[in-house]
Amino acid sequence: MKIILSIAWRNLWRNKRRSLVVISSISLGIFAMILSMGIMNGMNRQMVENTISTSLGHIAVHRAGFQDNMKLEYNFFPSEKIIAAVEKEKRVKAYAPRIKSQCMLRSSEASRGVMIVGIDPEREKKLTKIYEYMLKDKESAFLSGPGDDAILISKSLAKRLDLLVGDKLVLMIQDREKEIVGVGMTVRGLFESPVDSFDQFVAFTGLSTLQKLTGLEKNISEINILLYNKEDVDQVKAGLLEGLADKNLEVLSWKDMAPSLVSAVKLFDTMMYIFFAIVFITVIFSIANTLIMAIMERFHEIGVMKSIGTRPNRIFSMVMMEAAGLAFVGLAAGVALGGAVTALLSVTGIDLSFYMESMRSLGTGSVIYPAIKAMDIFMAMVIVLVTTIIAALYPAVKAARIKPLDALHYI
Amino acid sequence: MSIIAIENLEKEYNTNGIVVRAVRGVDLSIEPGEFSAIAGPSGSGKTTLLNIIGGLDRPTGGVVKVGGRDLSSMTAKELSDMRLQRIGFIFQAYNLIPVLSAIENVEYVLLLQGLGKEERTRRARAILTEVGLESEMNRLPRELSGGQQQRVAVARAIVSEPDIILADEPTANLDQATGAGLLDLMKGLNNSKKITFLFSTHDPMVMERAERLIYLTDGSVMSDTKKARGKRTGRSAAAKKRAPAKKK
Ligand SMILES: Nc1ncnc2c1ncn2[C@@H]1O[C@H](COP(=O)(O)OP(=O)(O)O)[C@@H](O)[C@H]1O
Ligand SMILES: [Mg+2]
Repeated sequence: MKIILSIAWRNLWRNKRRSLVVISSISLGIFAMILSMGIMNGMNRQMVENTISTSLGHIAVHRAGFQDNMKLEYNFFPSEKIIAAVEKEKRVKAYAPRIKSQCMLRSSEASRGVMIVGIDPEREKKLTKIYEYMLKDKESAFLSGPGDDAILISKSLAKRLDLLVGDKLVLMIQDREKEIVGVGMTVRGLFESPVDSFDQFVAFTGLSTLQKLTGLEKNISEINILLYNKEDVDQVKAGLLEGLADKNLEVLSWKDMAPSLVSAVKLFDTMMYIFFAIVFITVIFSIANTLIMAIMERFHEIGVMKSIGTRPNRIFSMVMMEAAGLAFVGLAAGVALGGAVTALLSVTGIDLSFYMESMRSLGTGSVIYPAIKAMDIFMAMVIVLVTTIIAALYPAVKAARIKPLDALHYI
Repeated sequence: MSIIAIENLEKEYNTNGIVVRAVRGVDLSIEPGEFSAIAGPSGSGKTTLLNIIGGLDRPTGGVVKVGGRDLSSMTAKELSDMRLQRIGFIFQAYNLIPVLSAIENVEYVLLLQGLGKEERTRRARAILTEVGLESEMNRLPRELSGGQQQRVAVARAIVSEPDIILADEPTANLDQATGAGLLDLMKGLNNSKKITFLFSTHDPMVMERAERLIYLTDGSVMSDTKKARGKRTGRSAAAKKRAPAKKK
């Protein structure tokens, strides 16, 4: 009913200060929710994207058992049948063969156990971002081809091993006969990815070089696959499994390969919900409190309204509308502010490197780009409205039950 | 038929074990078109009586019929609707919804009754003009004087053309002249619209203008006198134009 709505609306502005306190607490809550959701989304997305773009790709084909052991003996021959199955899939953007094995890198200063990855540089460029992560100074260069026998290590590993571009190191690795073989390699280039653990533990050399060194000949450890669209992962994975129909092979998505990443994302989401719950409880109390005060103040006039024939349900609606009014104004302000700030930060990024080197160890990189999802904003709005309704129920019922007689005494 | 019929009405208040008999065995009938006052000292039960007639309070004994219907048989919602359709209330003060302008306050009851916009505005304007507030229609209650506020309350009580208007000490917060003006206004409406007025008062000026004076003491009717019309002074223009009295 329109008149009740306009009474409710005008009532809102009778005690401007009190209403503004509630409105700003709602909008602050919403603002904080949108921004923190944005940051969490951004972090999650960056964590996932970085993992995909540094090493995993979206899908990998291995010899069954490789994922659990990551040993050289789990290798396979990339037969035409396998390649054809991958190439047939239209959602595949790029794929590349690799060898992955544990090894030891030794300089004159120190030694480190790392994962050495044998790559086909041209294919790898299309699959992962390792080429983009290469330092752009003159000395640092990428591998020239699968037969390149130089090595790429990260800037931080180079520092630990006290190596510069052009220096030599020794790589020691178990070959397929479980003999330790060692070979001298030149550091061809340095890279720096957003993921600290990746930088600490991964190095690259040519695929054929590693095949020769380990005696794998034409065999490889994995084929990594990048899709046009990440969302297609499960479908393509299932399709490949069926197309390959080979019990000796396993086909894994990035979620299978990085279960800890998936659980980290889940953990962040849970933290988010706890934070939201706190915001909602604040909103509930501030709205309920304000409405109860407002009703106590207007005891008499509610009595007048009832004594001239206003039914209780209309009084109930009036209070609900006042609550909705507070919520809507707060929401509008909060969404506008939160949306604007988050949108701005999603372009500029939030540089956390100055106080949190450990952000890199989260695998997000040190600059977070908040990402807003329309669905999240929508959810936040729905939740605040629902919360408001819950908060207003008690005061509204109380107001509807005011006895005109008691209220009339009360001036 | 009496528009208000009260038989052996009792009302007791029990506050922490202390029982107050606010109304004691009142018999009273009010005929349509009356302009009557319930007088009596403070605490004599005037407000209680009016509240019971208006269905705002329930009696502890006796029977109250309004327009032939026994109030004790009505639900809270029915009582609410009765107040909306058949009874207009005017209280001592603070009668209006503070966030609504004078005309909106008057329109409010018509809205509750479900009247259309044009009809509402037309009737609200007409009635506010009648009570002499044509230039104050868009003011909020707090921008009006006490007398003007009471006039809006009268306009609101009357706009829905109820059968009865119950006014609880309507002039108590007004000065003598303003109170007299308000009473003349009510008398004029009583004549022109044939609405029954029942008000409470302990103001001699009001008692003097009433056509029937019911005197309460300690919750009982001490005297009930009907006065001949025409003896009063200070009648409004509307009152002067009225049709010949139905009652003497
Ligand atoms: N809600 C109430 N609770 C207890 N006692 C009441 C209540 N209302 C009125 N009374 C008592 O009933 C008596 C009549 O009061 P009231 O009808 O207000 O008288 P009047 O309007 O003539 O001044 C008084 O003694 C008053 O104290
Ligand atoms: Mg009284």
